[in-house]
Amino acid sequence: MTIGTVYTGFGFWNVYAWMMFFALGALIVLCIRSTGRSDYEKGTYQDEVFYGGNPVPQNGQDLAVPASSSYWGFTKAIASFYNLLVGVHTGILSDYMGLLIATAAVISILILL
Amino acid sequence: MFKVDIKKELGILPRSIWAFHCNSGSCNGCDIEIVALLTPRYDIERFGMKLVGTPRHADALLVTGPVTKYMTDRLRRIYAQMPNPKVVIVVGNCGASGDVFYKSYNLDGPVDQILPVDVYVHGCPPRPEAIIDGVAKAILKLEEKREELLKTGGATNA
Repeated sequence: MTIGTVYTGFGFWNVYAWMMFFALGALIVLCIRSTGRSDYEKGTYQDEVFYGGNPVPQNGQDLAVPASSSYWGFTKAIASFYNLLVGVHTGILSDYMGLLIATAAVISILILL
Repeated sequence: MFKVDIKKELGILPRSIWAFHCNSGSCNGCDIEIVALLTPRYDIERFGMKLVGTPRHADALLVTGPVTKYMTDRLRRIYAQMPNPKVVIVVGNCGASGDVFYKSYNLDGPVDQILPVDVYVHGCPPRPEAIIDGVAKAILKLEEKREELLKTGGATNA
């Protein structure tokens, strides 16, 4: 197996070049990191995540923000319609098939008329 | 002629002071004055001083408010999270004495009941110039603590 260079038309990719840039990036990161403070006392509060002055939750799930939080206002504004949609999504296949047939029937009637 | 030995003045500070602000139950009056420090009129950042978003980056803790029971543990934790050396600056009468909230049922404060205070800035609220003066005094105390730390090899009882 030979390690060659891949030409893409927009540039090239070479494992040695990639490793060189990775090493360069790592060096820059380490240089920036070395300028930070290193005098935090281990095993004390100084070594702990700042969580607004509150104790840091031990369970990771308590720290997580659910994706639904990002559209909370949207679902609140159209709560009646949203609740209807949630009610329709029962998880039962026969319900979904019924909805599909009913929708297809309504569309067919509209087209035929 | 007024002459300043700039080398000596600058020699005090290895770097500029960074402060973390904690509202321990303030009416927000002092907090507004602290924020006013950042405006173009007072512009503390020209001295390199700035407010930071985490106590882990801070040298000074600015505390406003008389310390309500809810905030006591949080204030202690925030102080404990600051690296040494560190100073506590109480901004406003409430943090210094409780002021109008003195002996209120809902207080654990004033601040000196919870944390070792280094500088008091009085006023209700204090003027931004007074806060800048307080921070300048805190720099001297911070420098004393830094020298003490250097003598003891970094060992603290904070």
